[in-house]
Amino acid sequence: MSHLIARATLPGGGASQARRRANHNPRRRNRRIGLAFVAVPLVFYAVVVLVPLAQSFQYSFYNWDGVSRATWVGLGNYIQFFTDPVLQSTLSHVLVLIFFFSLLPIVLGLLSTALITRRRLAGMAGYRFVYFLPQVLTSVVVALVFKRIYSPDGALNALLRSVGLDALTRSWLGDFTWALPALGLIGTWATFGFCMVLFISGVSSIPTELYEAARVDGAGPVREFFAVTLPGLRPQIAVALTLTVTGALRTFDLVWVTTGGGPGTATLTPAVALYRAAFVNPQVGKAAAIGIVMALLCLVIALAIGRVAERD
Amino acid sequence: MSRRIEAIITYAILTVLAVAVLFPVATFVGAALSPDRAGRLVGGLEWSNFATAWQEADFARAMTVSATIAVSAVLGQLVLAVLGGFGFGVLGVWGHRILYPLIVLGMMISTEAIIVPLYYQFRSLGLTNSIPGIILIHLGMGVPFGIFWMRAAFRSLPASLFESAELDGAGALRMLWSIALPLVRPAITTLMLLSFMWTWNDYFLSLVFLHGDNQTATVALGVFQGRHLTLFNLMAAGGLIVAAPVLILYVIFQRKFISGMLAGALKE
Repeated sequence: MSHLIARATLPGGGASQARRRANHNPRRRNRRIGLAFVAVPLVFYAVVVLVPLAQSFQYSFYNWDGVSRATWVGLGNYIQFFTDPVLQSTLSHVLVLIFFFSLLPIVLGLLSTALITRRRLAGMAGYRFVYFLPQVLTSVVVALVFKRIYSPDGALNALLRSVGLDALTRSWLGDFTWALPALGLIGTWATFGFCMVLFISGVSSIPTELYEAARVDGAGPVREFFAVTLPGLRPQIAVALTLTVTGALRTFDLVWVTTGGGPGTATLTPAVALYRAAFVNPQVGKAAAIGIVMALLCLVIALAIGRVAERD
Repeated sequence: MSRRIEAIITYAILTVLAVAVLFPVATFVGAALSPDRAGRLVGGLEWSNFATAWQEADFARAMTVSATIAVSAVLGQLVLAVLGGFGFGVLGVWGHRILYPLIVLGMMISTEAIIVPLYYQFRSLGLTNSIPGIILIHLGMGVPFGIFWMRAAFRSLPASLFESAELDGAGALRMLWSIALPLVRPAITTLMLLSFMWTWNDYFLSLVFLHGDNQTATVALGVFQGRHLTLFNLMAAGGLIVAAPVLILYVIFQRKFISGMLAGALKE
């Protein structure tokens, strides 16, 4: 009985004591004020990102035309994504784009980083300014620049004609075989400068002693690159890979403005398929499923690259 | 001697790559100034292309829409980022072990994963084709990077600064306003530049959410090029008009843009 009384009185007393202590302990008081500070952005984030994310999952299990009643289809939309030949083709297009958006710029960036001297040079800021230019140009303008270059009377065909290769001239973006690589090269153009600036800044943080040691060991420039530069740039390469691979997977603006996914479905990407399914010819559940698959792929890619980069 | 050769090779490579980047842009600028409809470089320079494109594509309206959205989004995102960053970085937050990862996760959530319900929910609320609606979306989507960025900036300040202010009895808001904010001004400038660039250059959200009179400059440019395929010189002039605000900021603040984007990419 006395136990019970003791217990019954303790919590109240303890709580008020704790409250008094909390008021005196700035750390704990701050944490509650901190929560109030964070609550404001958190509400915006929840309304715009978290709630729609959950709803995306919900939508993806239904068949809905955006107007009439939705019907439950379970995993139907996901099964369709992996069985429908057109949607499947978007994934193989992404693989081609990854080559151009990711592998090619990274290899080019590494190669040029290896070839340039590690000492500080006058005028580097100017070059960096130019290499970063495609990053700040709005995607619609980038698309228009290259739409023109690839057009039947554009710069690329003019170049081919001037060297007598008239047979190769074509409407590059209207060609079933060449439209996708042509789009890919736009990505190469847009990202390689970013990769290179990233790598150059990474190289400058590799300790000079490592290079000196390699030289003492008699390593030539090639061995020096593979023994010192490449391992030293591992974090930067991981970042460049993550950004460019997810960029390739999410390609929309470039395709929508230049080819709209055509000719036929030759340059259709998952994001364009999503846009069409969501807003052009509404199959809303299917669009949500495409979005969820894309998000999961991005997440898996980012985590996998991060894991590989950290492992020795 | 070999140092000299090394330097020459370096400059040669850097120059070749710079030309590769600049050549497509230069043809575009040339086309924008060409009197020829196909944008070929014949005859003199036609500066009136900019004025003609401005009128033909109704850019005055589209640029105003873009500016309204970008400026509101930049200011709003800044307020949210400062509040959240100060909470997580200086005050500490009850439940931060769950809340901070939850917010940073947002940097990895692609727009595609949320765009479909976002559109249909906003439609039922009457917030599609509405400028406040799209500003709200930019605000919410800017929270993860903004908090990540400002938290790092506030954390780099010495903790002793706030401890002594606390002993003097300063409240959280006063610590933020009079101590922390003046010291993180460089981080704020970079954040504002990046978020202006991202909202101004946005195409996807504008395409989905805004139509007709509410079109942004980027979408209006896309529509203009679809309608006037044969007027390439005007289209290029329009493109330069749309790209100009960010380009001008980039010329002025190039260091901040580059360091900000590198730091943002590296998440350091």
